[in-house]
Amino acid sequence: MKQGPSILIVEDDEGHAILIRQNLVSAGLENRIEHFRDGQAILDFFFTRRDRANETYLVLLDIRMPKVDGIEVLRRLKADPKFRKLPIIMLTTTEDSREVERCHQLGCSVYIQKPVDYDRFAEVIRRIGLFVPLLLVPPLGVP
Amino acid sequence: MRAALDEHSIVAITDPAGRITYVNDKFCAISRYSREELLGQDHRIINSGTHSQEFFRDLWGTICQGHVWRGEIRNRAKDGTLYWVDTTICPFLDEAGKPLQYVAIRTDITRRKADEAELHRVAAELAEKNKELEAIVYTVSHDLRSPLVNVQGFGKQLNRACESINVAMASAKDGLVPVDQLKPSVEGAIPQALRFINAGVAKMETLLSGLLRYSRLGRVALNIRPLNVDGLLTDILAAMKFQLDEAKAEVRVDALPTCLADNTKTSQIFANLLDNALKYREPSRPLRVTIRGYVQAGQAIYAVADNGIGIAPEHQAKVFEIFHRLDPDATPGEGLGLTIAQRVLDRQNGRIWVEATLGGGATFFVALPAIETTPSLS
Repeated sequence: MKQGPSILIVEDDEGHAILIRQNLVSAGLENRIEHFRDGQAILDFFFTRRDRANETYLVLLDIRMPKVDGIEVLRRLKADPKFRKLPIIMLTTTEDSREVERCHQLGCSVYIQKPVDYDRFAEVIRRIGLFVPLLLVPPLGVP
Repeated sequence: MRAALDEHSIVAITDPAGRITYVNDKFCAISRYSREELLGQDHRIINSGTHSQEFFRDLWGTICQGHVWRGEIRNRAKDGTLYWVDTTICPFLDEAGKPLQYVAIRTDITRRKADEAELHRVAAELAEKNKELEAIVYTVSHDLRSPLVNVQGFGKQLNRACESINVAMASAKDGLVPVDQLKPSVEGAIPQALRFINAGVAKMETLLSGLLRYSRLGRVALNIRPLNVDGLLTDILAAMKFQLDEAKAEVRVDALPTCLADNTKTSQIFANLLDNALKYREPSRPLRVTIRGYVQAGQAIYAVADNGIGIAPEHQAKVFEIFHRLDPDATPGEGLGLTIAQRVLDRQNGRIWVEATLGGGATFFVALPAIETTPSLS
């Protein structure tokens, strides 16, 4: 599995999403990258739309988004036994200590403030990615 | 000695049973009783009911045992006025150590007590404002950083494009333009970067001017006077006729109470609420807005109810947050209308809140000081 997990960018700002994608690609990551425009879209993906079985994922999650925000997405995914081990990297513009603590309590893997150092960022993703194949998300329909 | 004391303090002397045997002129002046009315009475004549029985038991316990008692007491004058006195009571004892008489020396501290109460009120208000301010700074710093991230990030992309153009030019032979090598930068990366940098700068500009607009609200002079809200709404509806007709909206205005408020600012609040009703209407049904009003506990309350898309419970508190937009893609706006309404109402001793369900329309309530038409019970 040379590619590693699919990277799911959840980000309402189109510019941020493009920057993340372009920088990860130029840092040498070859993973599949998908973009979701808000929290509801990623929840829909995991809870109803996910069709590829035996795929591994890594989520890059923005916090402040319209409709469903990132904290709520984190809470809902981590509350479901199927997704508890899903690696989630919070990627946000503020570094409010209360917010960081809240995300860690809810079970995020890493909390990173934008703008990021993309070489280091890619390295973090690579390292997390090495463990991700062990954390297969069961396909839909499996209880 | 006594003359000097009488000049400075409120003085009374009582016998061991607490009956008043002497009062000076200052005591009479502040209590508004004549000397004849006071002599032979005990201090219950000026009891205001502020202090507990425990308080007076402690006072008597102290002076009966021959100790000096000090404290602050609120008394009631003959005409009902309440006044605070800083009090020292000295017992005078006979040879056997039993009290002969008590001398009470007091200073009027009514003003100081009022200042203290005002200070507490202002401190609580400031703490509240501080919390609001912190929330605003947090939101604004986040919202300003967001476009900044784009400006920085795409700025770096411009650097990279520049580097690759340099590389292409250095390797170009005979002054020929290396079109194929330049294309990705000139047609792809650079225009994309410029688009996001320009949009980011424009966004920051909008946020900053919105922030200035919000901050100026605290300084603008308000002209508070009796306000005919019926008439005010007639004017607003006339001004918005075009947009309302276009949306096939039907607006019903019931008879509304008058209130005390600033005409221009209040007008802006109602115009903003109607504009929101238009923006967030449910496209599948014609917009219906009903504006009702009633008076409750000294407040004129106006309810602007629509049958639009409504607001989910978890979003209802957020609608008043600065720059918060429920659906930024679907509707234009800067996320300031309700924040400004809240601030302006706050300055006029008013309030705004919302009751809504998702899909079931929203009702915004505006409360402003009512003009008393019936005598109040208090």
